Amino acid sequence: MAEMSYREAVRDAMSEAMRRDDDVFIMGEDIAEMGGSMGVTQGMLAEFGPERVRNTPISEMALVGAGIGAAMQGMRPIVEIMYEDFTTLAMEQIVNQAAKHRYMSGGQVTVPLTVRTQGGAGWSPGAQHAQQVEAWFVHVPGLKVVFPSTPTDVRGLLWSSIYDDNTVLFFEHRTLYALKEEVPDQLEPIPLGQARVHREGEDVTVIATGRLVHEALGAALEAEKEGVSVEVVDPRTLQPLDEQALVDSVKKTNRCVVAHEAVVRGGFGAEVAAVIQHQAFDWLDAPIERVGAKFAPVPFAPVMENYVIPHGSDVLDAIRRTVGRG
Amino acid sequence: MASQVTLPRLGQGMESGTILRWLKSEGDPVEKGEPLYELDTEKVTQEVEAEASGTLLKILVPEGEVAVGKTVAIIGEQGEDVPEVDVEGPAAPAAEAPEPEPEPEPKEPQPQDEAPPAQAPEPAPPAAATNGGRVKASPLARRIARERGIDLAALSGTGPEGRIVAEDVERAAVSPPKAAAAAAAPAPSGEVERVELTSIRRTVARRMTEAWAAPAFQITMSAEMTRAQELRARLVERHPDERPTVTDILTKVCALALMRHREVNALFVGDAVELYPSANIGIAVATERGLVVPVIPGCEARTVAEIAAARADVVTRAREGKLQAADLAGGTFTISNLGMYGVEQFIAVLNPPQAAILAVGAIEDRVVARDGEVVVRPMLTMTLTCDHRTIDGAKAAEFLRTVKEFLEEPGLTL
Amino acid sequence: MEGKRGSLSQERLLVFMREMLLIRHFEEKVEERFRAGELPGFLHVAIGQEGVAVGVCQAMEDSDVFASTHRAHGHTLARGTHPNEVMAELYGKLEGCSHGYGGSMHLYDIERGNLGANAVVGGGLPGIVGAALSFKLRHEPRVAVAFFGDGATNIGTFHEALNLAQLWKVPAVFVLENNHWAESTPASQQLPIDDLEKRAVAYGMHSAKVDGQDVEAVHRAARRALEYARSGKGPVFLDCETYRLVGHFVGDAQVYRPKGELKELRETQDPIVKLREKLELPDEEFEALDQEAREIAEASVEFAKAGTDPKPEDALKNVYA
Repeated sequence: MAEMSYREAVRDAMSEAMRRDDDVFIMGEDIAEMGGSMGVTQGMLAEFGPERVRNTPISEMALVGAGIGAAMQGMRPIVEIMYEDFTTLAMEQIVNQAAKHRYMSGGQVTVPLTVRTQGGAGWSPGAQHAQQVEAWFVHVPGLKVVFPSTPTDVRGLLWSSIYDDNTVLFFEHRTLYALKEEVPDQLEPIPLGQARVHREGEDVTVIATGRLVHEALGAALEAEKEGVSVEVVDPRTLQPLDEQALVDSVKKTNRCVVAHEAVVRGGFGAEVAAVIQHQAFDWLDAPIERVGAKFAPVPFAPVMENYVIPHGSDVLDAIRRTVGRG
Repeated sequence: MASQVTLPRLGQGMESGTILRWLKSEGDPVEKGEPLYELDTEKVTQEVEAEASGTLLKILVPEGEVAVGKTVAIIGEQGEDVPEVDVEGPAAPAAEAPEPEPEPEPKEPQPQDEAPPAQAPEPAPPAAATNGGRVKASPLARRIARERGIDLAALSGTGPEGRIVAEDVERAAVSPPKAAAAAAAPAPSGEVERVELTSIRRTVARRMTEAWAAPAFQITMSAEMTRAQELRARLVERHPDERPTVTDILTKVCALALMRHREVNALFVGDAVELYPSANIGIAVATERGLVVPVIPGCEARTVAEIAAARADVVTRAREGKLQAADLAGGTFTISNLGMYGVEQFIAVLNPPQAAILAVGAIEDRVVARDGEVVVRPMLTMTLTCDHRTIDGAKAAEFLRTVKEFLEEPGLTL
Repeated sequence: MEGKRGSLSQERLLVFMREMLLIRHFEEKVEERFRAGELPGFLHVAIGQEGVAVGVCQAMEDSDVFASTHRAHGHTLARGTHPNEVMAELYGKLEGCSHGYGGSMHLYDIERGNLGANAVVGGGLPGIVGAALSFKLRHEPRVAVAFFGDGATNIGTFHEALNLAQLWKVPAVFVLENNHWAESTPASQQLPIDDLEKRAVAYGMHSAKVDGQDVEAVHRAARRALEYARSGKGPVFLDCETYRLVGHFVGDAQVYRPKGELKELRETQDPIVKLREKLELPDEEFEALDQEAREIAEASVEFAKAGTDPKPEDALKNVYA
C-alpha cells in the first residue's frame, strides 16, 4: 500500500491509462507547463509530450466539442474544465451533442469522453468559482456523472470513466485534493454505479457526496457520543445511481439524511430523497432530512461563505432531527 | 382430517398468551415443526411451532389474548371443510368480546380518508372514526401497525410534533390490541393516559403482590471493593472479549457463598423448603417491555468469564425479547443491581418462591476508618431480602458476611 | 470566384447530374409527402443547394467524415446513403439511417462517414475539429468536413472551432453554404460584413470562395481544400455562394422574401439547369435521367411506408452504450 493524495490519485489514473493506451489523451486550459490550475496534471507534459497533454485556448465549447469528435472516432479523450462553473460555457456541446449522438444515431456511435472538472467552496473563490453543479448533468439522459470523495475512489472511478463508452462528467472537489490515504499499489478499477458504505450504523443513514462525505463521517462520530449510530454511504456515481445500496441502508436504519455541498433546492439530494421515499416508504420513521448550501450564490467574504455552505454541524443537526432530538 | 391448533401451555403458571402475529397466512402449506405464530406469554415472546402438517385452513384468532387450550387455527388438507369451532374471547381482563377487527386501512378509501388535512371546522366524526383527523405517524410506524393490526389512533406519539414513530408502535405491540386499545383511544393530551398492562407487566404485578405476602426482612452490609476492582481489571485484561463486570464477580462470589450457606439457596414451596445443590442465579434485567429475570444456571462451576459471556447473552436476548421459557426457569437466587443508576442502596422485593434476593447499589468512594485513620475506599452496599419462612436472621447475616469477605479478599474463595 | 469549365469527364459530370436530380426529386417528394400529412416533425429541404452537397461530397474520400446541418438530406444522399434509408428515417422507421431515433435533422450513417446532421446551428463544428484531431494524432490521411450556413458564422461554436482548428492545424474543411438567409433573417440583418471569408482569414485560415451553383467548380475547390488539409497544412475554409430556392422549412410562406426574388432565382440560379446547359444535354437524355431519379424517389417512399415501426419501448434503448 502506498499513500497517495486525491490529486495524485487523479494524475495516477490518467497517467496509467495514457501509458497503456495511445488513444487516451488530455486537453485543457493551462494543463501543460503549468500542470493545471489545481496542479493535477503536473509532470504529465514531460512524460507524454504536448500532443497528448494539450494546452487549449480558453474555449470550453470547442474543447469539449473536440473531445466529442475525437471520442466518436474511438479515442478516449479526457477534457479538463478548469472550474465546474465553466461547464456552463460548454453546456450545448455536453447536453445536445455528447449526450445524444449515440441516441440520435440509433446506436451507431459511442462518445467515450471524460469531462473532468472540479469546484467547491470553502476557500473564498467567490460566486463564479465555487459552485457545485453536478445535479444539472444527472438530469440529462446519455450522460454519466461521477463524484468521488477519496483518493482510492477517485483513482478507481476515473479509470472506469475513461474506459466507459459513454460521456462521463467527472467531478472532483477542490478541497479534497490534498487529502491523503493508503491506496492499493496496483490501480483497482471501481465500477460506475456502486455506492460505498463508509461506516456502518443502525439508527440513521447519511447519504453524502464529495466534501460532505467527510463532514458526515465527522458528524457520525459526534452522534455516536450521543448514542446515535450513523451509517454513512457515498453513492460515488450519481448516474447510474446505486439505488439498491441506498435503499437497503435506509431500510436498515429507518432514517435518512442526504447531504451535499450544492444548494439544497433542486440538488442531487432531491433525487435521492425521491428514490428513498418511493422504495423505502414503509421503512421510514422520520422525514428525510436534506443538508446543502443555502439558496444564495456562494459569497466571497469568509464569514458569509461559511454561513452559506454546509458543514458537519449541519449534518449532525439533521441526524438529531431524524431521531427526534432536534 | 383437520386438526385444531390450540394454544399450548409453555411454562408453569401460564394461563393465557397473546398472539402477536401469524407467520403463515391462510392457505399456506405448513410443516410440522415450522414456526406458525408469535406468542407473547408472561415473560417471553416466542415462536410457536405447528404440531401438524397440512394447509393452514383458517386462522381463528388473528391476534390478541387467548386462554391456554383454546383453538386458534385449523390445519388440514387443501379444500377441506373447516369445522365449526367455538372460539372464546380472551381469558382474562378484556371486558368486551373482541369484535371482528376493523381493517386499519380500508382497501377502498372512505370519503373521510380522502378529506384534505387542512379542512375548515371538522364535522363531528362518525362514531367509528379515530379523532376525525389524520393520525400523524411515520410510514414505518404505519407499516408495523398495519402488520400487527394496531390502531394508531389509540397511540400517542413521541416523535417530533407528536408523530407516532416505530418505537411507539413497538411498545404498543405487546399490549392487547384492538378492543382494549380502542377503549383507550380518545385520551387527548393533557389528560390521564391509560396504559394497558403488557403481559410481562401483569406478571410482574402478580408476582410482586404474591411476594408481599411473604414475611420478609432485610439486612444490609457494605464491602470494600478495592480488591474486587483490581481483580476485575485483571480479568478484563485476560478476557477482552467477555469483559467481566463487577456484577459478574458478584454473581460468582454469591454462587460460592450460596454453596457454603445452602439454606439461602432455597425455594419455599408451601409445605417444604427445597435446598438446591447448584446456584442458579437470576439477573434482573430491565427491558422496554418490563422486568425479566433470566437465569444463569450452575454459577458455582463457571469462571467469571463464563458467567460474563452467559450474562451478556441473556441480557441481549432479554432486551430483544428473544428469551426462551427455559431461560427464565429454575432460578434459586436473584441479584438485582441498580448501581448503574447511581442508587446507593435499595431494598428488593422477593422473587418467590426463592428464599432470598440481593439488592446491589453503586460502588462509591466513601470515607471509612482503617486502623484509626480516615481513608477513602471504594465501597459497595448490599441489601439481602429474605423470606423469613425459610431463613432466619443469623443465617442471612452469615451468608452476607461471606459475600462481603469474598469481595474484599477474593483469595478466600479458594 | 471559380466557375469555368474544368477538366472533368462528361461521364463524371453526368454522375453529378444524377446525384443532383436524385436529391431534387427526393426533396420534392419530401415536400409532397409532408404536405400530405405523412411525415412527422418538421423538415428543411435544400432545393437549390444541390451543387454544394454533390460537389463537396464527390470530392471526399471514402474514409473522410462530415457533419451536416438541419438541412441534411442532400449531404447524406450525396455521400451514398441509400434514399430508401433516408426516406425511412423521415417516416420514423427502424430501417431508417438513424433507425427512427433521429429524423430529418439527425441523419447519421457512420459507415459512410456521416457523423450526424445537427439541429443546433453550429453544433457540429467543434466535433469536426475533434475528429480531425484524432486523424492527426493517429497519423491517418483523413479529413473531417463541416457543413454549415451563413447563420452559423455568428455563433460561438463556429469561432471557437475555427480558432482551435487553425491553432492545431488539424485536417478539417469548413464548408460554408452561404445561402444568404438565416431562417427568415436576411444577411443584411445578421451579418455586419459581406465577405464571410474574412472570418476565416481572421484566424489565419486558408480559404477559398466558389460559386455554389456550379457543381463542377465546387468539386474542384473542394478537392483542392481536401488535399490541402490531408497534406497536414491545416484546415481550409470554403465559402460557397448558393441559393435556397425554397422556404426555411417545408410550408414556410416566406413572407420575408421580396416579391419576385424567388422566381428570378429559380430561373437564373438553379444548379441543375446550369449543369444541363454546361453539358448541353439533349432533352431526351435529360428526361431519362430525370425520370430515373423520380422513380428512385418514388420507390423510397414505398420502401419507407412499408418499413417497420419501432416499438414504443425501443425509446429506452441506445441511451447508454
